[in-house]
Amino acid sequence: MSAPARATPVAAARAAARARRWRRPTLWGRLALLAALAAVPLVPSFQLLDLALKIAVFAALVASYDVLIGYTGIVSFGHAMFFGFGAYGAALAVARFGGPTWGDLGLGLAAAVGVSALVSVAIGAFSLRVKAIFFAMITLAFAEFALILAVQLGPLTGGEDGLSPRFPGALGHRLGAYYAICAVVTVLFAAMSRFVASPLGRVLQAIRDNELRAEALGFRTFVYQSAASCFASVVATVLGGCYAVWVGYVNPESTLGIHIMLDILLMVIIGGIGTLWGGIIGAGFLLTAQAFLPNLRGLGAALLPGSDLAVRLTERWPLYFGILFILVVFFFPKGVVGSLRETLARRR
Amino acid sequence: MRRAAPAALVVGLALLPLAAIEPRVYLTLTIAGLAMGMLIFLVAAGLTLIFGLMDVLNFAHGALFSWGAYAGFTVLVLLNERLGWAEAPSLGLNALLLLAAVAAAMAVGLVLGVVLERVIVRPVYGRHMFQILITLGATIVLEELIRIGWGPNDQVLPVPFTFQGSWDLADVIVLRFPVVAIVLGLVVYGAIALVLRRTRVGLIVRAGVENGEMIQVLGHDIHRYFTGVFAAGSALAGLGGLMWAIFSQSVRPAMGGEQLIFAFIVVIIGGLGSVSGSLLGALIVGLSYNYVAFLLPKAAIGVNMALMVVILLLRPAGLFGSGK
Amino acid sequence: MAETLLELDDVHTFIGQHHILQGVTLAVRRDAVTVLLGRNGAGKTTTLRTIVGLLRPARGSVRLEGRPIHGLRPHAIVRRGIGFVPEGQGIFATLTVDENLRVARLGSDAGAPARLARVFELFPDLARFRAARAGTLSGGQKQMLSIARALVNPNRLLLVDEPSKGLAPIVIEHLVEALRAMKAHATVLLVEQNFAMAQALADDFYLIDDGRTVHHGPMAALVADDALKKRYLGI
Repeated sequence: MSAPARATPVAAARAAARARRWRRPTLWGRLALLAALAAVPLVPSFQLLDLALKIAVFAALVASYDVLIGYTGIVSFGHAMFFGFGAYGAALAVARFGGPTWGDLGLGLAAAVGVSALVSVAIGAFSLRVKAIFFAMITLAFAEFALILAVQLGPLTGGEDGLSPRFPGALGHRLGAYYAICAVVTVLFAAMSRFVASPLGRVLQAIRDNELRAEALGFRTFVYQSAASCFASVVATVLGGCYAVWVGYVNPESTLGIHIMLDILLMVIIGGIGTLWGGIIGAGFLLTAQAFLPNLRGLGAALLPGSDLAVRLTERWPLYFGILFILVVFFFPKGVVGSLRETLARRR
Repeated sequence: MRRAAPAALVVGLALLPLAAIEPRVYLTLTIAGLAMGMLIFLVAAGLTLIFGLMDVLNFAHGALFSWGAYAGFTVLVLLNERLGWAEAPSLGLNALLLLAAVAAAMAVGLVLGVVLERVIVRPVYGRHMFQILITLGATIVLEELIRIGWGPNDQVLPVPFTFQGSWDLADVIVLRFPVVAIVLGLVVYGAIALVLRRTRVGLIVRAGVENGEMIQVLGHDIHRYFTGVFAAGSALAGLGGLMWAIFSQSVRPAMGGEQLIFAFIVVIIGGLGSVSGSLLGALIVGLSYNYVAFLLPKAAIGVNMALMVVILLLRPAGLFGSGK
Repeated sequence: MAETLLELDDVHTFIGQHHILQGVTLAVRRDAVTVLLGRNGAGKTTTLRTIVGLLRPARGSVRLEGRPIHGLRPHAIVRRGIGFVPEGQGIFATLTVDENLRVARLGSDAGAPARLARVFELFPDLARFRAARAGTLSGGQKQMLSIARALVNPNRLLLVDEPSKGLAPIVIEHLVEALRAMKAHATVLLVEQNFAMAQALADDFYLIDDGRTVHHGPMAALVADDALKKRYLGI
């Protein structure tokens, strides 16, 4: 340990932050959340279990997207594609290329991770050449292409109907799968948290804020951006595998469809861009709403019986999500967590 | 010189498949490809000008496409049910019907465009990420409104009688409607080129595309031109939607979103802000899609992606892009 | 006593969070050339951009002939008779020379043909290359075109930002002659780093340092004051 008199301001700040860590309320809040997650199976409701798990998985997925868009400043529409890679990787390994064994599942996931890493770096190779807007559109095109591929390569992927693989061991049972996936999600969150707080993460934020200056300071921005893109994609891939294990069914629409990307966008906006943990709120809100909204249909029919228009208005709840989306972007561009942080910061 | 090379590329591309396909089939495919290209061009032209002048990423363009299609569809169905204009074997009535549908499609596109620009887009000028998000939100809302208003299912569109079917010219089958689409596309291109090159408004828009700030300090109210270009682009999107609906003889709520990807690829290939680039890009995309679909059906979708990648590697700003 | 054409009173301008102008006060005399001098980053270009409306002052006022123009949008401000010649010329490279001039013209009154003729008289190169794409012109010719655009309308005030930047000395000489010829017809607010050029053209000067106007007076006084020159201009 260097003598305090020799410590640099940065090192001193880091040491102070580390010491503060155990006293910050947010850490205890997160532990409480974790405890709640572990306790859910105590409630005898499959719907709740399903919802809780989906929230966990999507919260992590949104957080991984936030690493890309909020911390590195890269706008991509291809993120859902990597999620799909993971889902298909797990499913194909167990249903087509092997059997329901741990080894095959692991191999499938590893292969998917490899593909995702390669693809994300390849797509990243474009970002040097083209402007940000081009990049967003290109990722969208690639995502669509992946979807079409999945549908077209019928014999391999099961086409539009998809695959229904069985998974090995404890993963075949609801509870086993639940805890396994929760554990994975927790690990991933911890990894992402360390990633953005690490020196690498700080460089990324510098690049996001002022790319030219970062370059001038000597950072090869392309390398850093590729690293971040790679990391985010890999996390998404692993989560895709988790999703496949839980749902037990993988098809193009549910894992590669554009609506997953839209959901992610909506969740990240609600939670707050650049706030990693906002994903929990965004996912929690959206998925809970989606779970309970079908009941609205009944409400509409009950209130105004015989009115076709009322039925249609309440049936198409995506309409309200669209409106909500626009309103949130207008009035709460920093999302829930982001606005909270701002108000707290201002009070201090 | 700069412009000759891409044009030569298109011609070369168009002639290449003659090696593998017999002439009569080739002609049919070429016409189909040109027609498809023209329809995509209608959407891409508006998109590229909107981006070139306003620096706005308009993801809601697809919804305008859908709304134009549905507006025209409603006119076609109504006039056909009440007056039987589509089924009548009279060119005059059919043409009138088509004109009415076109007018409806473009009017709806225009009005929606103005509303979108004022309410949704203007507040987020200069902030790309929010533009993407907000226009996506607008797309969801507009698409859902279609589902509520017309129902979520595909619906068949009554194509006017004289535009159906084909002509038989010396053993070559030439479908009628694609020819109409090609002619329309050329007319639209000609009109846009004329306005841009020969009118004062066009001059100001061209200058604004190059340097928006400078055009303001030369005394022009750029916001008015923004609204105008956005409205014109939206009207074109509506027209493109209607034409595509007639081409595929059906309307679907999600039709706009699907075509939007094509349009984006074309805009990227052609270069942001260049209408000629969009035309060339659209023709390349349309032709290659049709040729490849005939020779290797499974590879057809991949062709557009491959084209985009190749062109971006050679010319990162697009064929006629000014490197914005 | 000559009237004041343009007045800035304690103008503060922010760019993002940066407080660039921290109190700019100046008065531009009618029919004279006033030069804004100062180090790099002092806020000279920001001052011009604030006048023309590309930036909005957070505090203070900008008045043209006594009437406030701060807060108006650029096109409205410029139409009151201000010609802006920005740093880097701002010509439209993809348009021809003729189109550049046409896009600048804001109305056809009786004096328009005469003004155009005078422009070609001042800058014969522009007449010669009228149909050429502006992007193919040399640096000096581009600068001429940029100034020419400001002369096409009956502008009473010309804002010229660093016209000599990046030009060879012999081109600068030609530029000075052209600007001198313009002096008779217009009021000019000039931003220049090239002191010799400023000296040749200016009647009055304002020194800007750290976003504030720190000194002003007749140009002759500045030329004679070595201490002032050294302190604020490093020469």
